[in-house]
Amino acid sequence: MGSVDGMEHTEVLIVGAGASGGVAAGRLAEAGFRVVCLEQGHWPDRGSYPAPRPTYELEARQRWSGSPNVRGLAEDYPVEDSGSDVAALMFAGVGGSMILYAADWPRLLPSDFRTRTLDGVGDDWPLSYAELAPFYERTDRAFGVAGLGGNPALPEGADPPLPPLPIGAGGLRVARAHDRLGWHWWPAPNAVLSAPYRGRHACVQYGTCMQGCPEGAKASTDVTHWPEAIAAGATLRTGARVSRILTNSAGLATGAEYVDRDGSWRVIGADVVLLAANAIGTARLLLNSASPRFPDGLGNSSGLVGKRLMVHPFANVLGYFSDRVDSYIGHVGAKIVSYEFYETDTSRGFSRGAKWSLAPTGGPLTSALPTRAGSSTWGPGHHAHVRAHLGRTVSWAIFGEDLPDEDNRVELAPGLTDSSGIPAPRIRYRVGENSRALLDFNIAKATESLVEAGAYRTEYESLMRYSGWHLLGTARMGTDPATSVTDPHGRLHDVPNVCVVDGSVFPTSGAVNPTSTIVALALRATEHLIANRRNQRTAA
Amino acid sequence: MTPAPPSQPEPTPVKPEPPDELRDWLRPLADALIPAEDGMPAAGHLGAADAQLDLVLVARPDLLRPLQRGHALTGGMSPAEALTALPELDPAAHSALLEVVAGGYYAHPEVRELIGYTGQQAVPVRVADFPEYLAEGLLERVVARGRVYRPAD
Repeated sequence: MGSVDGMEHTEVLIVGAGASGGVAAGRLAEAGFRVVCLEQGHWPDRGSYPAPRPTYELEARQRWSGSPNVRGLAEDYPVEDSGSDVAALMFAGVGGSMILYAADWPRLLPSDFRTRTLDGVGDDWPLSYAELAPFYERTDRAFGVAGLGGNPALPEGADPPLPPLPIGAGGLRVARAHDRLGWHWWPAPNAVLSAPYRGRHACVQYGTCMQGCPEGAKASTDVTHWPEAIAAGATLRTGARVSRILTNSAGLATGAEYVDRDGSWRVIGADVVLLAANAIGTARLLLNSASPRFPDGLGNSSGLVGKRLMVHPFANVLGYFSDRVDSYIGHVGAKIVSYEFYETDTSRGFSRGAKWSLAPTGGPLTSALPTRAGSSTWGPGHHAHVRAHLGRTVSWAIFGEDLPDEDNRVELAPGLTDSSGIPAPRIRYRVGENSRALLDFNIAKATESLVEAGAYRTEYESLMRYSGWHLLGTARMGTDPATSVTDPHGRLHDVPNVCVVDGSVFPTSGAVNPTSTIVALALRATEHLIANRRNQRTAA
Repeated sequence: MTPAPPSQPEPTPVKPEPPDELRDWLRPLADALIPAEDGMPAAGHLGAADAQLDLVLVARPDLLRPLQRGHALTGGMSPAEALTALPELDPAAHSALLEVVAGGYYAHPEVRELIGYTGQQAVPVRVADFPEYLAEGLLERVVARGRVYRPAD
């Protein structure tokens, strides 16, 4: 850090210390840049995670919920989502939403980058799978991905650095069923260590990944990137909430205004600003940064900031088995995956497809009060109901491709603010016709899968409201400033020293968990910034 | 690598103190929701309105407020009447009641043992050198069926 006219100044300011912010900070610090990151949350304390406590499942429903509205912590901002089919989920803190994610770590498929060319829907990306593949490989190694190479759902060269985690008795049952059906399946890649790796411990199978990993075996940037970034000189300031990006008369960013943990308002100058606040937080910040020069929000000459929100509509199918499969033991992300119905088949009546992840179904409280497909029985029959569910069920989690729709959007919610008085967002999201047909088809097929695996009963949830983890698309990248917010490397067309490095830039969603793609894109954008440092326009 | 210590420790939770009247109301409701059956004890018998309620409210102090509403709304009713009426009168209070009773019940070590729950324990992962699915040739056949993605430039 330094100062200009007495004001704190840095070369690169990063907003958000989550997945993409951690990757960008690590690479920039390594390259010798002066980096300051402002993070509204705090350092997570692994010792406070609820995994070992008997009240774990109760805590998961409130303090450790993925919903900022349910948690209601001071560092969270509210998201007005009452008019949305899907609620937004996220976490504020170092590591970001990785603290609470399941750590499924699939890549997009080559066709995901070319949906317009191949299927006449969505938009092509301004890059290809082949261009992103080297970055996937590097981030797979940095985060410590466990999995098995050779998956015929991906081009060659996607071998994870660590062997796959156990697929469990449930995974084996379903794998055998797919063998009989002739359907694709594969041991799932997860960003959870199957062996000690780079000073981190291997998984000890608490089965509580989505409320924080007390072992540090699940990858999140608070354990994988920030310690090294800080050691290399990066400054990470927690409890620091950015209200707006500041711009000068030339239309370049000069830094940001933020409020610190004491409630003091401050300004920090920066040559370049990176936005890594997720597709809701980044859109919110761009909209909150409106000024006379940028009356509709920063970087919004296309009118697309906040629009095209994609969240992956999520359905799930539950199968009951007579034998124990003990699916609550081990990692919570996918045991196995299937891409059998991922690619477009026009005979099905919809475009694109879905990825399936075979997931565990929780502990005893979740058996009594299911959070996904399932039901409750109280009074006589309660115990039989819980025994049938607990350890004897598995769930196909179905992520459908979410085609971009400008009516699905992030806006500022009139009258709603966070605890610092900064305007908060509202989301509008409706499941489209194509998505509904896609989910219905896949629910039927997933039911067929579980019945073939021996399930004596199945239940399904056609759309899970609390599933909005995959926040994408609100500042899409592209080559045409009229139809995109950023260039192919995340740089705002309108403000060339502001770069979006999170999932906001996705032109389309694909149908896989996006974190591995978000971090690969963040690394790619950061490398581009470094390589072009001499040509970088700044306000200074 | 070890992350930095938390920069802002969480405040120590204040233990909520539900009144005896609420406990007396809750106890028979808990027994009605989770009765003694199939070799399992009833929830009230295991302290759903006593020690388990205290445990639950330390973890979830937010549940006390809707629980108090449920008590106020159905305090004069029989357990059966209360459990029928509450979902209509105050769905959030009913949800809180279920979370309190089931949350306390399934946090009890005796219940966990009876149902054979072995989760949330640190058991180091063991990666098999040659998992069953490889031994059975399942993946060979997946590969033999060919790629399932469409190439794209």
